Amino acid sequence: MKKNANRIRWTARGIFALAIVSFLGFIQPDSPKINSKTSKETFSQSSEKKAAPMPLYGKWKSFTTKDGLPSDKIYCVRVDGDRVWAGTNHGLALLEDGAWKVFTEKDGLAHRGVLSIDVSPVTGDLWIGTMSGLSRYSGGRFETFTQLNSGLANDVIYSVFCDEKDVWAATGGGASKLDTYTGKWEIYTERNAPMHEPWTYNVCAGGGKVFIAAWGGGVIEWNKETKRFRDYTDPDGELEIDLFPNDGIVHDITTAVSYANDLLWVATYFGMSTYDGNQWKGYFDHDSGLASNFINFVKANGDVGWLCTDNGLSSFNGITWVTYKVLENKKGQVIINGNTDDEKILPASSAISHNFAMGVDFSGDVIWVATSKGLSRGEIVGYSDAATTRL
Amino acid sequence: MKVLSYKLLFALLLIVFSLRIETHAQYQEKNYGKTPKEIVPYSKFSSAYVKHFMEPLPFRGAGREKAEPEGLKTVRIGFLGPIANSKDTVKGKQMIQGTILAMEQANARGGYKGIPFELMPHNDAGLWGAAANEVIAMDDEGVWVILGSLNDIVTHVAIRAALKCEIPVVNIANPDPTLTETNIPWVIRVISDDRQASYALANRIYKVDGHKRAALLRTNSRYGRVGTGEFKDASRRLGFPVSVEVRFEDGDSDFKDQLEAIKKSNSDAVVLWGDAREMALIVKQMRAMGMDQPVYTSDRAVSPEFIEILGNEANGIVTTCQYNPKANNPKYKAFRSAYIRRFGMEPDVFAVHAYDGMNITIEAIEKAGLNRTRIRDLLTDMKTFQNYQGASGKIVFDASWNDIGQIYMVEIKNKDFIFTPYVYEDELTGSIKK
Repeated sequence: MKKNANRIRWTARGIFALAIVSFLGFIQPDSPKINSKTSKETFSQSSEKKAAPMPLYGKWKSFTTKDGLPSDKIYCVRVDGDRVWAGTNHGLALLEDGAWKVFTEKDGLAHRGVLSIDVSPVTGDLWIGTMSGLSRYSGGRFETFTQLNSGLANDVIYSVFCDEKDVWAATGGGASKLDTYTGKWEIYTERNAPMHEPWTYNVCAGGGKVFIAAWGGGVIEWNKETKRFRDYTDPDGELEIDLFPNDGIVHDITTAVSYANDLLWVATYFGMSTYDGNQWKGYFDHDSGLASNFINFVKANGDVGWLCTDNGLSSFNGITWVTYKVLENKKGQVIINGNTDDEKILPASSAISHNFAMGVDFSGDVIWVATSKGLSRGEIVGYSDAATTRL
Repeated sequence: MKVLSYKLLFALLLIVFSLRIETHAQYQEKNYGKTPKEIVPYSKFSSAYVKHFMEPLPFRGAGREKAEPEGLKTVRIGFLGPIANSKDTVKGKQMIQGTILAMEQANARGGYKGIPFELMPHNDAGLWGAAANEVIAMDDEGVWVILGSLNDIVTHVAIRAALKCEIPVVNIANPDPTLTETNIPWVIRVISDDRQASYALANRIYKVDGHKRAALLRTNSRYGRVGTGEFKDASRRLGFPVSVEVRFEDGDSDFKDQLEAIKKSNSDAVVLWGDAREMALIVKQMRAMGMDQPVYTSDRAVSPEFIEILGNEANGIVTTCQYNPKANNPKYKAFRSAYIRRFGMEPDVFAVHAYDGMNITIEAIEKAGLNRTRIRDLLTDMKTFQNYQGASGKIVFDASWNDIGQIYMVEIKNKDFIFTPYVYEDELTGSIKK
């Protein structure tokens, strides 16, 4: 009898304890630091494929007007062999043989505001997207294309991308394509492509396709073989929410696209998405190591995606996140798998110029980062072990 | 001892439970865009994984360190609006006049530290992409803030270019709900959008007036498409999906085909979304065809032109308005008198919001100094201009810097507009008539 009473008492205590634990488990702050379960799940989905070694960059050096740049506000950077081109709000700058040379409207540049730069793999010409026209720099001379003398949809060129002989421009009024062999232009807007709106922001190519970040319209894919378009939009159809994780592109307001190794990277001002042709995955600053949901630009370098956010430069290889930041004391900070249970924060003696990153490019072991307050150059100083995040 | 420990545990449990309720309650109140609980997207079966626009987005870029320029002869403020070669020039005229009046008054007070303000007007031609070029031109002119525009295509293009140039934008006329859903931390809007108007109309049509099958006839423009999006969503979520949706082109005068389609749909109410002229002509044709359904319209019906075309046939039509020109608001009365004195005409909804937008802009410049980033910071800090008492009434910003202040139901009686504050009939009040 006494035994039974004890059993009942302990059972009651157990239920009581479970109830408390259960209630505690339900209490979540409005903005939890991390939903680590989700983060782990997301990582493990990617781990079927062996992750690329995660490079760690350091030895940062900053370039500003003091070094010869026309402005500290650097919209974009493009490496072309030994030459480094930087687009600023006060002209185009070239770093060659250790010195900066500046090009402005006086030299024939379409406009001082240089938003995008690419190099033709066919001719080696430099294509420059500016706030008022598209310029080609060839043989030491500038040639400018505008709405009035070409098939440009609009004069504000947010992005230019050279895909073999074709030059694509994402403009404020649609996407334009120039066939440099025939000189023929084509314009793609909501009238002849599945664009929700014809406001394009970025363009890239790869895997036989061209991808356009259509502001408000998700991603538009152009299949070069079938010459057909298709679009990818947020399945929930609402701008104020993302209903389910990993159900598609995280948001229709897309800002940049990049394609490498069969993976499409999509940047938005609301988070980041990847697409392997079969499955979409979404990443946010609350469930991954992404520094911020506000992403200005993305560039894939092999298997590693580089996200230029307003709160640091993040990189991701499908398993490990590494974010580079500058602190108020100008020292650097490297955050590995930030916002997860595996988070490691490493101090660094040097740092990127500013946390507001707007562009990135690579050359061998060197990385260049365009920021709101200077251009940064870094070098690989080691690798993070993908499985253990050991330095 | 055992009793005491159980009591402690019970107390702990109560605390935990109350904390949970508190957390839950706070969460529930945070509906973006003042969206009624029953209209929140997907709320009936799932909670969203991520909710955007719940907190204001910071701007983390550089720029605050820039010193004020010296030797300026004027302090330039950009204006983008339909002031020429557009079907909307009447509205554009009211917009620019509202800004001019506020600027002239500021200059009469001494301008900015003795430097006069100067308006840099640019035309909103309504063409794709043209606005981007205009914003770049304004950047070249050195404007500190841009006011505008009306057309949602133009305004969307403009704010994206302004983001690149980092110029604050104060929107004074565009009702497109998606404008402030772009996460551009350089844009505020001082006029209520079509989301608020849609909720107000849906509330009136289904909950107050008890209709069940509303037909929608809208302009085949982005204004019509995006503006009615929230209305259609609200109708569906309240259990009364729009019975039929048909479109017309701006400038049309014959709507017989569309009205025949509505006639066949057995609708018990008709919602019109467009400009005053077309909506008035539609009502005229409806009545001539023997269609006596109650008519609800977008806010552009609040216009003398609407009454002029319809006369007594306008009576009974219900619409919404972003302000109440008949309110006992001394600021509005002073504005109206000054406006009539200066321009010899009655101000409209665009003039009064342009006037408020320019006054906010000037105050931000005076407080922040000549630095675009610092002006932006002030405009978006959710303190300086939160609950701003303007000529149009109180401006209340949500976390996306959209004005979610009071809007008004408007009913036409004796060819006059009667304004009453819109209050959502909560689902718990049981006022819905089914």
